[in-house]
Amino acid sequence: MQDFHFTRPDDLAAAGQAHQASDDGAYMAGGQTLIPVLKQGLAMPEDVIDLNGIADLSGIEADGHGITIGATTRHASVAASEAVCQAIPALADLAGRIGDPQVRNRGTIGGSLANNDPSADYPAAVLALNATVVTDRREIAAEAFFDGLFTTNLNEGEIITRVRFAAPDRAAYEKFPNPASRYALVGVFVAQTADGVRVAVTGAGQDGVFRAAEMETALADSFSAGALDGIAVPADDLMTDMHAAADYRAHLITVMAKRAVARAAATA
Amino acid sequence: MSKVNIGERVRRTEDLRFLTGRGRYIDDINLDDQARAVVVRSPYAHATINAIDTADAAAMDGVLLIVTRDDWQREGFGPIPTKSGIQKMKDGSPLRQSDRHCLAMDRARYVGEPVALVVAETPAQAQAAAELVDVDYDELPAVIDPVAALQPSAPQLWDDIPGNLCLDFELGDREGTEKALAEAAHVVTLDIENNRVTAVPIEPRGCIAAYDAATDRYVLYNASQNVHANRDAFATQVLNLDKDQLDHIAPDVGGGFGAKNSTYPEPPLCLYAAKRLGRPVKWINSRSESFQSDTHGRGQTSRVTLALDADGRFLALRTDTVGAIGAYAWTVGPFTPTGGAARTQGGPYRFPAMYYTSRAVFTNTMCMDPYRGAGRPEATFQTERIIEYAARKLNMDPIELRRKNLMPPEMLPHKTPMGLDVDSGDFPLLFEETMKMAEAAGLTELRAAAEAKGRKFGFAIAPYLECTGGGPKEHASVTFNPDGSVGLAVGTSSTGMGHETSLSQILAAELGIDLDRVRFVQSNTQATPLGGGHGGSRGMEVGGSAVLQAAREIVDLAKPLAAHLLQSETEDLSFEDGRFAAGGGSVSMADVIDASMDADRLPDGMEPGCLDHSSVFERGVISVPNGVHAAAAEVDPETGVVDLAGYWVMDDFGTIINPMLADGQVMGGVAQGIGQAFLENIVYDPDTGQLMTGSLMDYGLPRADDIPNMEIGYYEGQPTAKNPLGVKGAGEAGCVGACPAVVNAVLDALTDFGVTHIDMPLTPQKVWRAIKDGGAHDPEGLMRAVS
Amino acid sequence: MPDITLNVNRQAVSKTVEGRTLLVEFIRETLGLTGTHMGCDTSQCGACVVHLDGKPVKSCTVLAAQADGAEVKTIESLAPEGEMNPMQRAFHEHHGLQCGFCTPGMVMTAMALVAENPDPTEAQVRHGLEGNICRCTGYQNIVAAVLDGAKAMRG
Repeated sequence: MQDFHFTRPDDLAAAGQAHQASDDGAYMAGGQTLIPVLKQGLAMPEDVIDLNGIADLSGIEADGHGITIGATTRHASVAASEAVCQAIPALADLAGRIGDPQVRNRGTIGGSLANNDPSADYPAAVLALNATVVTDRREIAAEAFFDGLFTTNLNEGEIITRVRFAAPDRAAYEKFPNPASRYALVGVFVAQTADGVRVAVTGAGQDGVFRAAEMETALADSFSAGALDGIAVPADDLMTDMHAAADYRAHLITVMAKRAVARAAATA
Repeated sequence: MSKVNIGERVRRTEDLRFLTGRGRYIDDINLDDQARAVVVRSPYAHATINAIDTADAAAMDGVLLIVTRDDWQREGFGPIPTKSGIQKMKDGSPLRQSDRHCLAMDRARYVGEPVALVVAETPAQAQAAAELVDVDYDELPAVIDPVAALQPSAPQLWDDIPGNLCLDFELGDREGTEKALAEAAHVVTLDIENNRVTAVPIEPRGCIAAYDAATDRYVLYNASQNVHANRDAFATQVLNLDKDQLDHIAPDVGGGFGAKNSTYPEPPLCLYAAKRLGRPVKWINSRSESFQSDTHGRGQTSRVTLALDADGRFLALRTDTVGAIGAYAWTVGPFTPTGGAARTQGGPYRFPAMYYTSRAVFTNTMCMDPYRGAGRPEATFQTERIIEYAARKLNMDPIELRRKNLMPPEMLPHKTPMGLDVDSGDFPLLFEETMKMAEAAGLTELRAAAEAKGRKFGFAIAPYLECTGGGPKEHASVTFNPDGSVGLAVGTSSTGMGHETSLSQILAAELGIDLDRVRFVQSNTQATPLGGGHGGSRGMEVGGSAVLQAAREIVDLAKPLAAHLLQSETEDLSFEDGRFAAGGGSVSMADVIDASMDADRLPDGMEPGCLDHSSVFERGVISVPNGVHAAAAEVDPETGVVDLAGYWVMDDFGTIINPMLADGQVMGGVAQGIGQAFLENIVYDPDTGQLMTGSLMDYGLPRADDIPNMEIGYYEGQPTAKNPLGVKGAGEAGCVGACPAVVNAVLDALTDFGVTHIDMPLTPQKVWRAIKDGGAHDPEGLMRAVS
Repeated sequence: MPDITLNVNRQAVSKTVEGRTLLVEFIRETLGLTGTHMGCDTSQCGACVVHLDGKPVKSCTVLAAQADGAEVKTIESLAPEGEMNPMQRAFHEHHGLQCGFCTPGMVMTAMALVAENPDPTEAQVRHGLEGNICRCTGYQNIVAAVLDGAKAMRG
């Protein structure tokens, strides 16, 4: 791994300044993706700016409508949070199934979203729950945030500070892990709110996380697994790799969506 | 610690250091003033190497030396020929040796082949410089699949080896088999692929080489499971040294499974660099490099044909195999798909006729060498798959079909049509015992539970019969020290199997001394003049026998002393439970040992240290471990996911030295078999030869929730007479029986869908697709081009 | 280069490291605590698991600089030299290790698992070991050891 200058600023302004001052700076939150990327030499930043020194980036707050999760909150903290389990148990469940126990003790929601790995779990929750990504500069609606593989709407140097989720009426996440890496080969997050049903799919799309519109319409009519009978996402826009061809992913999306709906319906 | 016996579940001596972080593995060793090496590897599967420009790399900070093919040629270092146990083609001509040097010479022939070695002060400096070594390649077309490599139009790896054919081979009764096939009531044929996998010991390979100019001697610390044979090859074949100039020592080794048996190129490169620099040179492989540069295993495509009479009795078995051995004929690579897989064809069944033919083929991939079982898993898989497939095709009960054809005990001893000497065992007994274990676990209930979840349930039973292998000779040397400790040095190599405990247990039991007196040394060319290392389940069979033989000879040596102490005659002495007795008196072996170091207590003609003794045991005929595996599988037909609901094993390993360690061998072997059956697969891009499964992100290893609990039983009723311990071997059997048991269980579960065959690994996607396609499958699709 | 001060196995340590120095490299090479192993380069195998502020992490995927101010515990901290704690003893009794290379990571994960869930089920143990790969044992004896070690640690 190529060496870099490491800094751990203790407030957002200093972090932003460090980034601006660098020709090639990278923020690090949990490091669970960035460190492997650095080891492989796929990124060679001059400066790594560790965001874990910024105290108010971490933590979970609940209000009457939902919860807000600080960007450097670890997956394990979200999974174990009473507040999250109360307000959005599906989100706690998702967080508890990311990676493995050690990864969950380091990985963060902000890091996961900023990286937007097509097989990451959190993007499905953020999109299905219509969450708001809050940065040091603005608020970004989930719909506008994700912008293709490993790409987001974040500007150069912009830092996610927290993510705001409104509690749905009911929701569930079902994940089909890659047999080797155990990343999501397909993950489907289904959420029902007063505004309707949203179904977000991760792990499968050629452009990353996406919504399954036809499923949403069918579930809005009848929130039951049976409502998804015969509905499949077209395989054309899905990934094919050595672990799963697009048609298998398309099939799994329907299966996982049905299972998520059944679970959401049962837990409500 | 009190006395121990053979057959006791003695806890391991080595555990304390491993459990407390005090093991000493290769990367834990650092020598003063050591430099660090990184290998520059070929990014191409096949390419001419025009030139290697090291100027930019050499100018980097900390760089000390860059070794290239120019050095190798200038020094006149030799290639490492294969020691394959089969050295002749069918027509009697020699097998086609491929010049395997430690660095690619004219061409690189697989992705990951070493092209240069960069040595620097630190690993980071070496790595940075390695990236600047400028190799001018001309990429050539590559061939990955061995069947494709046999086609006339295939890219050729070697100018002087036509058709990419390293070795062809046949064994058995061709005419008799053909006749039986022609006359049989039923003939069933199936093409089977045994997927290419790799061992993935969790400790990557690595070594430290040091050179002493004053004495012109080298020391190599190496994560090796075969220090003597590797020492000989590195010294005499590569570096043009007398073998005694090189001491080869393995520290604690973190798993091997065959992959640390081979003569790899990196240690000689480091030895040479150490001499050039006059400094120790350390090299540690990364995991990602390991996938490219550790030897692979299996990787065979076979057409298997079974002939049965109208009642389902087996008449003949014919197998035609094409095995990919990679770009070079590695240490023993061509043996596995030829002689290795031939021997145990047909398993424990009665076959009037068998014929095995195969071809070992060069491909632009990493090379094959033994991986746990090396040929026996393939043979067992072929045999058990064709039986299961025949049962389905002929609408016979697969359990009954097997039961009907097992060799009865009265048939033994028996030499199979493959020439295997099956001396002892009771195959029907083990079969019924395994069925009883499975039934006692509640097959009916397991089926009901699976079906209640909307899953399909399947069960299969898979008898296996395998054989030992590896070096036939082993050395055990025992020394008695004044502090009361007893040194035991053996030329075996435990890479986790617990020989420190089990071999010491044999010595302590036989001499009747406390186990904790024994100080065990292995894998060290200074400690034993010869040694076979580890391979072929030989640890207890050959190593244990050497220890037993040494111990018995020590008892004989001790008799005159015991007689002297008891004031009796040697011929009046008895020795039992660690005590010599004569008349009314007795003396313990421990006392005799004490006396042996005390000149005052010794009779005339005996000197202190007179009980120190070495012994060499040589195996005559390989042993035949056998047993039966059974598995229950649940399949989720919606996703293709398989869960194993139960696993049962009965093994006949002959005498069991330590059942706890035997259990560990079975459990670990089964887990590796399950890994191969469901997860593991080395995949190269068929066009470019790039390795697609280059890390643990893509090469799946089984985790704790992938492996079921296993119920394991042993039959010790018929120890073998082939060695003095009666041991048949335990290390590989788990891996031999597992693949057919679990694959056949899954296929049993898929009966309703008409699915009769899926090639390994049975990933969820493949299972789902087979269901979706209603079992559509071409049983002769893989080998059509070459049969 | 960052100066870091941290507490490793109850001892304060102050060193200067490179930005890129991994926590596992710092532990093994700078501190000479070689019980923590490196088995892969993609955060899969878990041979490098240590406790960072009480939580198990893969020390190959944490920068040493990120551990500034933290408390680190490695396998060497579990028992005085020559002794084993109840979890280590359970691994010994159940033959929950063979080559020993994954073992320190496995034990550190097991310790954290039972600290969080003192009375786990077998399924919870198997799930909790998801981040640790063993190639030797087939896991059965490891799982038995963790269950028994949990019991021993409950007292």
